[in-house]
Amino acid sequence: MLFDDKVPIYYQIKNYLYHRIVAGDLQLGDKLPAVRQLAVDLTVNVNTVQRALREMIAEGYIVPQRGRGNFVTADAAKITTLKHELLRTYSQAFYRQLHALKLSDTEILQAIETYIEKRRDADD
Amino acid sequence: MTEAIDITNLNYRRNTKQILTNVTLQLNPGKIVGLLGENGAGKTTLMRLIAGLAKGEKGTIAVHGQTTAATRRAFVSFSEALQGFRPGDKLSQIRDFYALAYPDFSAKKYLDLITFLQIDDDQKLATLSKGTREKFIIALTLSREAAVYLLDEPFSGIDSMSRKRIISSIIRWKQDSATMVISDHYVSEIAALLDEVVIIKDHTICTHKRSDQIRREFGLGIEAFYESVYEGDISDDQF
Repeated sequence: MLFDDKVPIYYQIKNYLYHRIVAGDLQLGDKLPAVRQLAVDLTVNVNTVQRALREMIAEGYIVPQRGRGNFVTADAAKITTLKHELLRTYSQAFYRQLHALKLSDTEILQAIETYIEKRRDADD
Repeated sequence: MTEAIDITNLNYRRNTKQILTNVTLQLNPGKIVGLLGENGAGKTTLMRLIAGLAKGEKGTIAVHGQTTAATRRAFVSFSEALQGFRPGDKLSQIRDFYALAYPDFSAKKYLDLITFLQIDDDQKLATLSKGTREKFIIALTLSREAAVYLLDEPFSGIDSMSRKRIISSIIRWKQDSATMVISDHYVSEIAALLDEVVIIKDHTICTHKRSDQIRREFGLGIEAFYESVYEGDISDDQF
């Protein structure tokens, strides 16, 4: 995985795992790889993976089981919240960028609709 | 908690040349720390002093509370350049020497490491490419179950595949409680690995920061931060 060196790595690891959970690569109740394995896979420090997991545990998305490892929460409502949060973050960034170009809300909505239609046509 | 490395007011001269001036540094157990600085800044000398291989310093150097050079050597695994060995020595003979010299040398770890790093230890030292030689030094250094590992520019002049393998073996085989210092003057490949960064400039430590602190407070990558410090874009009072 390629990291942006300007952003704390633990934060990027959290985001990476959140994406995998929301996308369904990691499902409700799935076991996460061991900490060292995650560190090897992502080419990062074990301490950094631990910090990312600690925060995800505190936020309730990951549940540790003594002696067995870390698991994705079995609570579907939690994942829905996570999905909404990601959606809000991306919408906000997207909206801010277009808003900075002095586009009105209507123009922004039109632009995204046109884009989706064009994509649909291209896929057909 | 005892610091893994605790250096106070370290000064070191060689002949009439000042190499290190008023170095004070504390590192906690379990961290991976980047020691950055230009060639000649004093990185290797500092490592040799911590490892107990250079002598004649003023000030104190403690490694897990051990302050004499001889007792520190037992705690520190330093990536030595194999200069004491003959070109005709087989790598397995060098391994035997290490196993005798260091009680914490693990034959199993050594075997795992040379397998992972794809080293045939039936070869003679003189036949090794630069990359293989560096990988072998890393294998020997990490095979010790030491409290502190000092890797002196382990990535200089080697191909990117060897570099990736070395980085991966660090992640795989460093014990959680062990402290590791990696010196380099080029950091982008190991930036994601570093808990902390120590920069040596003008013979002393000019800054010591957590990597996340650098990213948060300065909005910079490690490499960019290092360059800014060297070029004077970030002045001392900003630390």
